[in-house]
Amino acid sequence: MERQEIIDGIVEVLKTVRTIDPEKLHNITEETDFLTDLNTPSTELINIAAKVEQKFDVEFEDDDIDNLGSKVKDIVDLIIRAKERAE
Amino acid sequence: MHNRKVAIVGMGGAFPDCTDIGDFKEKLFSGKSLIREWDKATAFGKQIRSTVAGFITEEEMNLEPVYSSLAPDYPETYIDRLSRIPDINLATADVGSIWAMLGAQDSIKMAGWTTEETESEETAVVVGSGGAGHEILRHAWHNFYELGKKSRLAGSHTVDRAMVYRDAANVACLIKNKGVCEAIGSACATGLGNIGYAYRLIKFGLQDRAIAGGVEGTSLETFIGFDAMQVLSKGFSPDKSSRPFDLNRNGFVCGFGSGIVALEEYEMAQARGAKIYAVIDSYFNNSDGDGNMFYPSFNGQQRLWKGLAKDAVIKPDVVKVHGTSTPVGDIIELLSVIDAIGDKGYHVSAPKSQFGHMLGAAGSVELITAVMMLENQQVLPCLNSDTLNPELENFQKADGWNGPNKPAASYRHLISPETVNKEINQVVCLNYGFGGTNSAMAISRDV
Repeated sequence: MERQEIIDGIVEVLKTVRTIDPEKLHNITEETDFLTDLNTPSTELINIAAKVEQKFDVEFEDDDIDNLGSKVKDIVDLIIRAKERAE
Repeated sequence: MHNRKVAIVGMGGAFPDCTDIGDFKEKLFSGKSLIREWDKATAFGKQIRSTVAGFITEEEMNLEPVYSSLAPDYPETYIDRLSRIPDINLATADVGSIWAMLGAQDSIKMAGWTTEETESEETAVVVGSGGAGHEILRHAWHNFYELGKKSRLAGSHTVDRAMVYRDAANVACLIKNKGVCEAIGSACATGLGNIGYAYRLIKFGLQDRAIAGGVEGTSLETFIGFDAMQVLSKGFSPDKSSRPFDLNRNGFVCGFGSGIVALEEYEMAQARGAKIYAVIDSYFNNSDGDGNMFYPSFNGQQRLWKGLAKDAVIKPDVVKVHGTSTPVGDIIELLSVIDAIGDKGYHVSAPKSQFGHMLGAAGSVELITAVMMLENQQVLPCLNSDTLNPELENFQKADGWNGPNKPAASYRHLISPETVNKEINQVVCLNYGFGGTNSAMAISRDV
């Protein structure tokens, strides 16, 4: 799965999070920071992670989520790692 | 600084089968019942004993639940179709907290507080709910315990949306006050208890303003708890179900709603030219002290009246009773009122006859009805109080009874099934809760 394809999927998840301004979802890159760029309340990150698990049909370890960074690339990396682990 | 006067300068809330507080007022004084057959209850067929309630749907409050894609039937958040509450605040709220926020907004608008006044260190938020369970917790627990899902699948907001003082916390985050933020819990006295506590904060000089009240979000989870106790009204059409004082009453009708008021130190309110809807004369609360969780105490209520009158002139034109429509509570309460202030010169009003028992919101919504009675110079009716018992109650015949020795029917002149026009200068409000907690507040017209 290409990284851009994963980013597109993450954006689809973010569209369902009502505390994120949809206007800010037009130019999402790997470097976009959930907290500083999207003003995502930190409590929403766990909801995003759970929805991403569902979207990409993967299961994260609790440690993965505990250590998760706040940039889009951190979630992309985590998805790839989780998929590799499942194979 | 310990005996300042306190004014009621704003009101708001959520009321069953009403579009807004104006509609609520109009329906109340025209003698309407706001109690309806509840489809959510009837859907469970024989699992549920009583099926009428003073419920409020999300649709009626212009709210729309957003269901989670992760956990079946879990309302992840709500959309406010009228854009009154920002999404960030909706994310941390259950329906009751949303009603509390809407009531706070309306109260502040009515009070005419500036942003600076609202956000001041001298502004408190004191709002609580009865909160005997709701769907946020039910779905979170069901997903974890029954379906074996990860805890995170119910989302990261089950704490803020379910914690005991969620209503106060959500209101404070919305209005950004910097003073006290707390919730008082005293079962069915919660609504009046929170306002009483806020009143004391201002009276004793600890705060200048407060948003205060009680909430009970529509919840079948709460309803079934009372249904199980067999204490809910059964066997009448919805509008006849709540019938305080009537000989044939057989239980209370569960109601839901919120009642929020804006309180302000009197001199400040007057100095800025605020409209003063009522002045609080006195507040008192106590416990029965008889070790009984449920049964009302005549002695506890006698002491309640004494405490209320300790530092204030108590000569009400209306006594707004708790009047739940349960077989025991109503008449003990009536007799304690008569024991305290005689049987002439006032009327008894039981607004639960119109909208049911709003539990944690009862005291605050009923205080709002008392303010409306002062405004309208009309006594709200005791709907369905068709027949008063011509015989003595069993407890009146028991050894040790030291209250009035006449049957309820002797007091027909105090209890009107219809709205009464009269001069009203003072209203006393009474509420009680499980655990033997009693609370009373007297309010007057500002003259």
